[in-house]
Amino acid sequence: MTSTAEAVPRTRAHAEAVPAVEALGLGRRYGTVWALEDASFRLERGQFLTVLGPSGSGKSTLLKLVAGFERPDRGHVRLFGAEVDTVPPHRRPIGMVFQRLALFPHMTAAGNIAFPLEMRRFDPREIPARVERFLELVRLRGLGHRRPHELSGGQQQRVAIARALVFEPGLLLLDEPLASLDVRLKEEMQLEFRRIQRELGVTTINVTHDQREALVLSDRVIVMQGGRILQEGEPETVWRDPAHPFVARFLGVGTMLRGLAEAGPAIRIGDRRLPGRAPNPATAPRPGRPAVAALRAERVRIFAASGSPAPGTGFACRVTDTVFEGDRVLYELIVPELGEVRLRAVDLDPGGHARYRPGTQVTVAWSPDDLLLFDASLEPGSDP
Amino acid sequence: MALSPGRSGLGAGPSPAPYRLSWRILDALEAVAARWPARAEGAIRWLLLLPALLVVGLLVFGLLVMGDASLRVMDFRTYRLSEQHSLANYVRLWGWGAFHATLWRSLGATLLVTLLCLVLAFPYARALTRTSSARLRRLLLVGLFLPFFVGQVVRAYGWLVILGQQGLVNQVLGLLGLGPYRLLFAYETVLFGLVQYMLPFAVLMLAPALAAIPEEIERAAASCGASPVRALLRIVLPMARPGLVAAALVVATLTLTDFAMPAILGGGTNDFLANLVHDQFFRTSNAGLGSAIALVLTFLGTTVAGLLLALAGPGALGVRGAR
Repeated sequence: MTSTAEAVPRTRAHAEAVPAVEALGLGRRYGTVWALEDASFRLERGQFLTVLGPSGSGKSTLLKLVAGFERPDRGHVRLFGAEVDTVPPHRRPIGMVFQRLALFPHMTAAGNIAFPLEMRRFDPREIPARVERFLELVRLRGLGHRRPHELSGGQQQRVAIARALVFEPGLLLLDEPLASLDVRLKEEMQLEFRRIQRELGVTTINVTHDQREALVLSDRVIVMQGGRILQEGEPETVWRDPAHPFVARFLGVGTMLRGLAEAGPAIRIGDRRLPGRAPNPATAPRPGRPAVAALRAERVRIFAASGSPAPGTGFACRVTDTVFEGDRVLYELIVPELGEVRLRAVDLDPGGHARYRPGTQVTVAWSPDDLLLFDASLEPGSDP
Repeated sequence: MALSPGRSGLGAGPSPAPYRLSWRILDALEAVAARWPARAEGAIRWLLLLPALLVVGLLVFGLLVMGDASLRVMDFRTYRLSEQHSLANYVRLWGWGAFHATLWRSLGATLLVTLLCLVLAFPYARALTRTSSARLRRLLLVGLFLPFFVGQVVRAYGWLVILGQQGLVNQVLGLLGLGPYRLLFAYETVLFGLVQYMLPFAVLMLAPALAAIPEEIERAAASCGASPVRALLRIVLPMARPGLVAAALVVATLTLTDFAMPAILGGGTNDFLANLVHDQFFRTSNAGLGSAIALVLTFLGTTVAGLLLALAGPGALGVRGAR
């Protein structure tokens, strides 16, 4: 690094132990509303963190505080061990890719990529070669002379990535840059982000509402809702053991069953006692209190009415709708035994057609391990 | 409101979804439009342009008449323009010191007023487009449009009242034991009046260009390591160029050809070219010489506008075909 403009030192000596980013009880208020409350996390060097949440969950606010575009009303941000609350954004060692990319329209692609080098006072003799190298890294060799509007959407994305990374920042922030892309380009760019991030080993925070993107890209995932962090962990953990019914729902759980908690743990719905699993002690239902149970559609097995599973574990139900999606078929079911509750199930190996027509009687079953139990008061609109 | 169920359609009675009168009118219009020959549409587009072309065309006609008059010399014995064409009027202007002084005064004022207006309008337009407070934005907008309710002549007389020997400023200064100062009939006063008059125009032309620069762009500049000042110089100003050129164009052409401010605030001591034209036509009754000055003025205005547009390059004023 020839950069001298950064206020945050990046010495190698004691560096390895210090995390790249630390958020300590961050809070941000707009008027009387707290957009972000008591957010704390720690991100090690070289890791890829995705902050996942719906709009209004506070994830963009969190990113703005880390970038320095806004000041926290409570708490502190530490970058590489140094508190940066008073450091303006242009002095932070951060590269950023924006939602609408925000390329400078009056500069060429190469001009855009050279801009941070000029601003951060790199040796002018070094700049052209470095720009070339990063054009190559994002596979835009030979397109440096074009203006942003002369490039395709994917190429503009690549320019934005190169501009954010060309000065080798300690931290890369991605503010939903893939949100507006069509599915194919999005998947291509996701892989591209991962490749470049691994190649450079840059610590990254990605903000998105796309749960698939979070799982594909990240070493760690934070799920947010209503200005609060609900869960932090590895993608597999968050997927397998959601700590909160909202997390389960946001990660694509199709069915939420309501009932009363019993010891075991289990949930009682009508006459039936369904054994389950509480993934997080903090959100587990207490026996006798209302509970919700999350059940993934793809964990529900469907049998013909006659060929039922082990006795006492299956439920008779009626198919109300089928959705043929080619590689899988989604079933909407009604279970009379559980008080006419609606259930979703996925047949992952349909063999090219929907086996069961609407109106058909079938039997469904699942493993107790797949029935995730939560305190019902965590689920909005959960009055029994 | 359009959604109010009160005005139901003709004879619709108490039916649950009354067919509104406005819908019937639209239906009728659509029925007419459906029968309209498709080929007429292109012609109509040009036909609608005709009134504007006529008005501008008449102006060109007037210019031609003046061009002809400028080549004839006034005979003060008969008060008629000579039959023969000559460049005598222009030759006279070339050798006339007062004309040169006025010319340079006009051009100098144009340059100064334009620069001052751009410098002052930029922060105003930026505050207008960037503030998150709706109340402040409304206040700035009112402040922007209020001057338009007061005509230029009225405003100039207002300044007379404020800046005169017995005016408000001198009275206040008198209370402090200062003055009185002679504030009127000076070049600076004329410039001041012009800046005050042109500022809203500059803001109006500048604001859309600044509003078109997304806030994200400035954040991107910061994330690239640009301080606010460097972001302004390298990113915001270049992107605002169409607006800056448009504002400069309007202010420069209006200032160059201004009549009222130098006439009233200058009181004849600081005339611009337009005042000279006026004097030749209506005081000296020399239509020939007046026309010559008017043509020089028109030529200068066109040159200034042309230079500014050339400076802006393609896409000036944001008028550009779809990409």
